[in-house]
Amino acid sequence: MSTETVTASIASASRDKKREKNFVKTWKRLLKNKMAIVGLVIIALQLIMTVAAPILVDYDPNKQNLALSELPPGTDGHWMGTDNYGRDIWSRLVYGARISLFVGLGAVSLGLIGGVVLGLLAGYYRRLDGIIMRFVDLLFAFPGILLAMLIIAILGTSLVNVVIAISIWSIPTCARIVRGSVLSVKKQEYIMAMKSLGASDGRILFKHVLPNCTAPIIVFATMRMATAILSTASLSFLGLGAQPPTPEWGAMIAAGQDFMWSSPHMIIIPGIAIMLVVFAFNVVGDALRDALDPGMNLDK
Amino acid sequence: MAGSAQVLYSVKGVKKYYPVKGGILRRIKNHVKAVDGISVDILKGETLGVVGESGCGKSTLGRTILGLEQLTEGNLVYNGTNISGYSKKELKPFKKEMQMIFQDPYASLNPKQTVGEALEEVFIIHTNLSGKERRENAIRLLKEVGLTEEHFDRYPHEFSGGQRQRIGIARAIAINPSFIVCDEPVSALDVSVQAQVIKLLQDLQKKHELTYLFVSHDLGVVRHLCNRVLVMYLGQMVELAPVDRLYENPVHPYTEALLSSIPRPVVGAKRDRIRLQGDLPSPANPPTGCPFHTRCPIAKDHCAAERPEWREIEEGHYIACHER
Repeated sequence: MSTETVTASIASASRDKKREKNFVKTWKRLLKNKMAIVGLVIIALQLIMTVAAPILVDYDPNKQNLALSELPPGTDGHWMGTDNYGRDIWSRLVYGARISLFVGLGAVSLGLIGGVVLGLLAGYYRRLDGIIMRFVDLLFAFPGILLAMLIIAILGTSLVNVVIAISIWSIPTCARIVRGSVLSVKKQEYIMAMKSLGASDGRILFKHVLPNCTAPIIVFATMRMATAILSTASLSFLGLGAQPPTPEWGAMIAAGQDFMWSSPHMIIIPGIAIMLVVFAFNVVGDALRDALDPGMNLDK
Repeated sequence: MAGSAQVLYSVKGVKKYYPVKGGILRRIKNHVKAVDGISVDILKGETLGVVGESGCGKSTLGRTILGLEQLTEGNLVYNGTNISGYSKKELKPFKKEMQMIFQDPYASLNPKQTVGEALEEVFIIHTNLSGKERRENAIRLLKEVGLTEEHFDRYPHEFSGGQRQRIGIARAIAINPSFIVCDEPVSALDVSVQAQVIKLLQDLQKKHELTYLFVSHDLGVVRHLCNRVLVMYLGQMVELAPVDRLYENPVHPYTEALLSSIPRPVVGAKRDRIRLQGDLPSPANPPTGCPFHTRCPIAKDHCAAERPEWREIEEGHYIACHER
């Protein structure tokens, strides 16, 4: 390695350190918010459940044991009880966490890709603005769940189609948020400076406009995780998403509603799980918005 | 500037109108005439000052000349090539020749990019240099504008206004342009820093044989830096003259008023300041005839009717006025 490459790599390391510093700053501000910590802990628990599901549970989530059906929580070996087929609810809950996280991530990332591209184009090119935004308005005209149901009706019921439906539903909101940020960023003088340097539109959009629009996109993505998880559960509850015996939380509630009086834990436990996760992503999204707000950069 | 000087950039009858849209159908109702018929030859190696009130179109003129705004009318002839109407692709080799230094050093640098990245990017756009060569060149540029290698990995918010403007200048001279539009490069800076930046601009001009179009409303700076000065009013040319002649013997009544507004740093000095009556008319609805007649102390009836001719009163000294 020549001395030059050494200095260059040292330089890039120090550059990374600076980036890291910004990240740490945001992180520290985030941790000042008590609610955010609660939310982060819940999300962390869901992550652990997702990664370590086989270690955490003793039973196959789909294995029926009719002899042990409808056991109440607190039973030996089944601390959260069992459902009407004698399946361990804890196992189903843990595997359900995996599904809800994957569906949420999938739907949000697909929605982000579509929304960011449309938003960038609409915000940057005035000619495309009208066309793209009318298309977005068209998507907005449908209530979210109805739009998702329509898409599933066309594509057929399955978890993958739920991901697609929810991502399409996320596109218009995301596109509007991105467009708004692009409109304010593109008026900045540094964009004009890049134009006068002869930079291509692609370079300006992805290297200069997009990096300066990240804060609202991150907040949107976090909040959207909550909506996506809730919508997946709703669609599965309605029988449009995960099909039995998949241990999806919404599907678990749907299966449990007939046993609401005899074994209320069949719907209460997955219900609480959904509530906690949605709550967690919402408070973390809120806290992120505060932490990323440039106005807050002034204190400390 | 001697009369034999070569013309680098010839601006011919340039107009830039912005449409004003209104109504439900967003029809074009009117135009804001930001730049309304400017013709001037920019000579190789000179610094041409452009002065005028806020909103007189001087910045728009600078941007239009660089092809950052679409021309409404007129021709731009750079070094003998008529580049008006060129597509973005055709303009790219010319963008290498012409650069811009911006007014606000806080806004003209991408806050998410380190200084090194910003400078290297210019080479990425215009050259095929390797990463190592780009870095070397960027560091050379930093040193040239009075910064050091340590500044390479810092973000813009870590710099003072003057330092940022130096970075902006480094970026502008990175690919050895011949022509630079300076859009009020020092007006956002402290007076002490202004002097340093102006000195830097002068040094760079000598070293690289640069030609400047210096847009400013600071008449003191213009006198210090420029060879010739163009006075603009409501998007139109009012007076053009070599700097000393203009400051000592302004002919157009608007120039007279403008120059009389310069504060004099002499205790007890009597100032016969010419106060203009009325407000600056809207460029969307400029007065007929001479644009200045509504506020002109010597206006006659025909000033409102006819647009004054652009004429040479002495060698190199042009004005547009019926009365002088």
